[in-house]
Amino acid sequence: MQPGQERSVATPGDVLVTHEDLDRAFDRARVSAARHRRGFSSRVWLLWLLIGPGILVMLGENDGPSMLSYAATGAKFGVGFFVPFVILTFAMALVVQEMTVRLGAATHRGHAELIFERFGPFWGWFSMIDLTIGNFLTLITEFIAIRAGLGFFGIPPWAAVLIALAILYFALLSHRYWTWERVTLAAAAFNLIFIPVALMAHPSWSAVGHALVTWKPLPPLSKDTVLIILSDIGATVTPWMLFFQQSATVDKGLTTRDIHFGRIDTLLGAALAAAAALGAILATAPLFAHQMSTANYEAAQFAQALEPIIGRFGAALFALGMVEAGIVASITISTSSAYAFGEVARRPHSLNLPIGEGKSFYSVLFLCAAAAAGIVLIPGLPLVFVVLVVNVVAVLAMPPALFFLYLLVNDKEIMGEVPSPRWANALAAAVVVLLTAAGVLYGVSVVAPGAFAWLGAR
Amino acid sequence: MTDLKLPHEHHRHEHVAGPAEASWILSTLERDQLVVEKNAPVPRRRLRGAELLLLWALRIYLLFMLAVVFWQAWTATH
Repeated sequence: MQPGQERSVATPGDVLVTHEDLDRAFDRARVSAARHRRGFSSRVWLLWLLIGPGILVMLGENDGPSMLSYAATGAKFGVGFFVPFVILTFAMALVVQEMTVRLGAATHRGHAELIFERFGPFWGWFSMIDLTIGNFLTLITEFIAIRAGLGFFGIPPWAAVLIALAILYFALLSHRYWTWERVTLAAAAFNLIFIPVALMAHPSWSAVGHALVTWKPLPPLSKDTVLIILSDIGATVTPWMLFFQQSATVDKGLTTRDIHFGRIDTLLGAALAAAAALGAILATAPLFAHQMSTANYEAAQFAQALEPIIGRFGAALFALGMVEAGIVASITISTSSAYAFGEVARRPHSLNLPIGEGKSFYSVLFLCAAAAAGIVLIPGLPLVFVVLVVNVVAVLAMPPALFFLYLLVNDKEIMGEVPSPRWANALAAAVVVLLTAAGVLYGVSVVAPGAFAWLGAR
Repeated sequence: MTDLKLPHEHHRHEHVAGPAEASWILSTLERDQLVVEKNAPVPRRRLRGAELLLLWALRIYLLFMLAVVFWQAWTATH
C-alpha cells in the first residue's frame, strides 16, 4: 500500500479512494452543481469556485524582492519606460502560466513529477536543484521584507518572523485546500494596498499616459538600467510560479473543462498584480522627482523616505504592503517547495491531507519557511547580497524551465485533446528569446561594462 | 453529475469513506484524479538530439551566468 492510503477503502471496482479524494470530490461536486445552473449569478459563482491558483501565483510573485524592485524602479527612473515595460513582463507571465493550467488540468500531475517521470531523474534533478536553490533564496528575501516592513512599526526582528510563521501555520490549520486557498487569497488582496499609496503620491497622469503610449523617457543604457530590467523581469516570471500553479491546479482538482476559467483566473491575477506593481512604481516616483535617494533595497527605508511626501499614514501603508508581500509569498513559495518534494519523493502531497497522512508534506512546507526565517535573524550575514541576486537568478533559471514546460505542453501522449496551439508556442518562444537576451545583456554589462559607454557615445 | 447529493461535509473528519461514499467519489472525480491512479508512473519519453542539445546549451548558459551573478554580487558587497 502506498503512503497516504492508510485510511482508504476498496470500492466494488477494486479502486482505493483516500481522504484526499473525498475532499477533492466535495469541491468538484460544487463545481459540477454550479455548472449545471443557469443565469449570470451562477456563472459568477462558478468563477468564484474555480479561481485561485492564477491569482495566488501572480499576487504571490508580487513578493518582497519584487515590490522592492518596483520601488527601486520608481525611485531611480520615475515614470517612463518602465511603466509599459512592467505591463509587458506581466503579459509574459500570463503566457507561460496559462500553459501550466492546461498541463495540470490535462494530466492531473505536478510539474516536478512530470519532468522526473517523462524525462528521467537526470534532468529532473537539475530542475529540482534550480527550484530548491531559487525558492530558498527567495524565501530568505521574503523574511527580510517582513522584518524590514514590521521594523517600520518598531517590531523587533524575532517578533516579526514569528508573526509571519504564525500566519503561515494558521493558513494550514484546516488541512483543506479550499480553506487554505481562500485564506491566502484574502491575505493576497492586501497587495493592492500599493494603489492607494500611489494615489497619495499624486502621480502625474499625463506622464503615465505618455509613458504608456511612447515608452518614454527612455532610461540611459547602463549597468544599473540592465540590473533593474532583469530585476523587474525576475519580479514577474520565475520558476517557482510554474511549479506552484500546476500543482495547485491539480490539488484544486481542475479538469480540461475548467481551462477557460483557469485562463480567466490567471488573467485576473496578472491584471491585479500589474496594478499593484505600477502602484509601487508610482508611489516611489516622487523620490526620483525630488532627487531623493534610496541608497539600498531595504523596505523600511523606502517607507521612511516617502514619509515627507505621502505622510506617516501613507508610509505606514507602504511598509504594511511590504509585510503582506513577504507573508503571502512565504506561504506560496514554501507550498511550491513542499509540492515538488512530495511529487519527486512520491510522498503524499496535498493541502487536503490530514496532518497524520501528510507529515512529510507539511514538515517540508513549514521547515523551509522556518529555516529561511531563522537565517534572517543571524547577525552579520550578507543579506543584501541575497536580495541583489535573487530576482536575477530567477530570470536566468527561466529559459531551461520554460523549455521543459514547452516540451511537456506539446507532448500529445500526456496532453491528449488539449495540446498547445501554435500561437501559444510562438508566444512562449518569444518569451524564452526575450529572457535569454536580457540575461546576455546583463552578462555583457558585467563582463564588458565599457561596451555600454561605447554604444552611448556612438 | 447534477443529481449527485453531497454527503454532509462535517462527516468527513469522522469516518473513513464507506462503499457508498467511495462510489460517489468515483462518480464525481475523473478516474485519473484519484490518488491511487496518480501513483501510477507516467511513461518515459526519449529526448531527441536537438532537444538534448538545447537542454545542454541552456544548462551551460545558466551555470555560466550564475557564476557572473555571484561574482558581481560578491564584488558589490565587498
